[in-house]
Amino acid sequence: MRILAVSGKGGVGKTMLAALMIRKMVKDGEKNILAIDADPDFNLPGMLGVSVKNTVGDIKEELLTKQSQLPPGYSKDTWLESRVFEIIAETPDFDILVMGRPEGPGCYCSVNNVLRWVIDSMTKSYDHVIIDAEAGLEHISRKTTLGVDDMIIVTDMSQHGFDTAKRINELAGKLGARFKHLYLVANRVNAEHEKAITERVESLGPEFLGMIPYDICIEEYLFAGRSLLDLEECNATKAVEAIMDKLSYYDVPRQPQK
Amino acid sequence: MELPFEIGPQFEGERIRKDDMYIELGGPKVKAKAELAKLRKADEIEDGRVEVKGLDIGEMEEGGRYPFGIFVEVAGEKLEEDMEGVVERRIHEYCNFIEGFMHLNQRYDIWCRLSKEAHAKGFNLKYMGQALIKLFKSELPIIEKMQVTFITDEKEVVEFVGNAKKTYEARDARARALSEEEVDEFYACLMCQSFAPTHVCIITPERMSLCGSISWLEGRAATRADPKGTNFPVQKGELLDAIKGEYAGVNEVVAERSDGETERCYLHSMFGYPHTSCGCFESLAFYIPEVDGIGVVHREYPGDTPIGVPFSRLAAQTGGGRQGEGILGMAIEYMRSRKFLQADGGWDRIVWLPKSAKEMVGDAIPEELRERIAMEDDATDIDSLKAFLEKKAHPVVQRWGFEVTEELKNKLIAYIEKREGEIYPEEAAKELGISEDQVMKVIDGLREDGILE
Repeated sequence: MRILAVSGKGGVGKTMLAALMIRKMVKDGEKNILAIDADPDFNLPGMLGVSVKNTVGDIKEELLTKQSQLPPGYSKDTWLESRVFEIIAETPDFDILVMGRPEGPGCYCSVNNVLRWVIDSMTKSYDHVIIDAEAGLEHISRKTTLGVDDMIIVTDMSQHGFDTAKRINELAGKLGARFKHLYLVANRVNAEHEKAITERVESLGPEFLGMIPYDICIEEYLFAGRSLLDLEECNATKAVEAIMDKLSYYDVPRQPQK
Repeated sequence: MELPFEIGPQFEGERIRKDDMYIELGGPKVKAKAELAKLRKADEIEDGRVEVKGLDIGEMEEGGRYPFGIFVEVAGEKLEEDMEGVVERRIHEYCNFIEGFMHLNQRYDIWCRLSKEAHAKGFNLKYMGQALIKLFKSELPIIEKMQVTFITDEKEVVEFVGNAKKTYEARDARARALSEEEVDEFYACLMCQSFAPTHVCIITPERMSLCGSISWLEGRAATRADPKGTNFPVQKGELLDAIKGEYAGVNEVVAERSDGETERCYLHSMFGYPHTSCGCFESLAFYIPEVDGIGVVHREYPGDTPIGVPFSRLAAQTGGGRQGEGILGMAIEYMRSRKFLQADGGWDRIVWLPKSAKEMVGDAIPEELRERIAMEDDATDIDSLKAFLEKKAHPVVQRWGFEVTEELKNKLIAYIEKREGEIYPEEAAKELGISEDQVMKVIDGLREDGILE
């Protein structure tokens, strides 16, 4: 199992990259894939053409309101685990779990404690786990992100996107975040800026995986709200495939063959 | 017997995806399902026996969903009835030790899946029963004999669920009745120490964690699952004060784990040495000196309390692991405890509660008090609270120990006449042998009678 997460400033194309990575895996015939949408404003299911009814956030609220009504001999941990399994949307090619809305008032310590365990142990059943992280830095500073193998920071061409990438890199170093590798991807890049971007990434720190060009095909699909899984081959998908090859993602400890 | 699958903890947490699934047993889309463990006498069961009532896996259709019952019967000289629940919880664990079999949830909510691969290798319930018996007997040697019955016939499962529910209810009733006196150990929780470094939550059968998330039973389960985690057992030690709920063992642990910040802890009083408050308590109790009573407000209630501040302001006064007299964070469930603030008078002392909280714990409030405790519509400030309590003859009114009697009224009228219509409260108080505050009450009484303006 290998866990890959996508982070960066809001609006730089994290979700799109996660979706295109899943597209590539599905195309290559990978089966044991879990997508986790950890952004409270969850758009990953939509980009993958999946409709999701319930989120982990809903379950937390449900537990906080009804915990005093559960019978004393009824285990909350086991209930929570089952509810998480229940809300995972299962498609023939991959499963998807949505973390959902942020926490309200009340104490989430205990429920989060159990959830960490549930999700940590559940991910072991998959070959690939792809997390679409919340925009910004909170998930890194609070160490809520799972033990991630590859953290890919996405930026667009804006200086602010690079600034965020730099801050994530620094914070991850300071806090000893649990990433094995830290990478950078530049998205929505115009041909005339390619050279300047190459120079800009050099001093930044994380290993640069490549650029995804601005591609009108993607924009059209996003405009129409269509699933990116149906996307025909285009410049952007090719760029993502090249990035995936650099990650050599087939090289994962796998589930026993079924 | 050679089993067509492997067994071991390495298969725990194995999720069988819809695409890999051969059949589903129970689960959210199937109504009839349950699991139950029962203690039997040695001669009532046959060791090693596995029975399947209804179809076994081989006779089921691929992709189908079926009703499901797992009935575990055990015997052993040292087994006690209150261990049935413990044995039952292990069904979940051991089923998940079986390669290709997924078990989720508990009781009447079980949800199992069998993988296509396991089916292809010849999995059936007879084998699974053998595997469970093997696991139970090797992991829990206290079990001497065991038999397992799987039920997949719908009618039989429905009947089984009905019987199982009676057992669950009886077990829950026993758990609810559990008292601090009956158990040897309580549980501590340090989960909140990340932001309240001196806070130590003490969880007893009659006092839930302040966040309302961890009961004594859950504390026990958490301790067993992870003895080095944030929950650990606390030996009660000597009972120092039965009413306040002070135990030597609790004091010791609280002192040690709060780095000496808190030295004593009363489990059932908000005065003297109350339990510390974390930051995430569901509700809090606050003393209202003007009426010598206690108000309770919960986190969900956004408005002001009769003392003019909302939950958030009160919470800021006590959170962070502080021990604050007269203000106490607590679980909503604690209001259901038989020992709820017993040293302070319990429900007899509660004078104000938001309506929504009253609805949540209404059945725990003594019948005769239910209408006497003010809510936000009855009292918005101290004056209206006082008036409400007096009108309803709330028990705290007796604490005020003062009644405007006819005798006092007459004495005050005599004083006023002597002073030719003037009242000097200090002098009047001396004359009547009461306090100034009480003089004001007598004046209020005369105003109500229309004698004074």
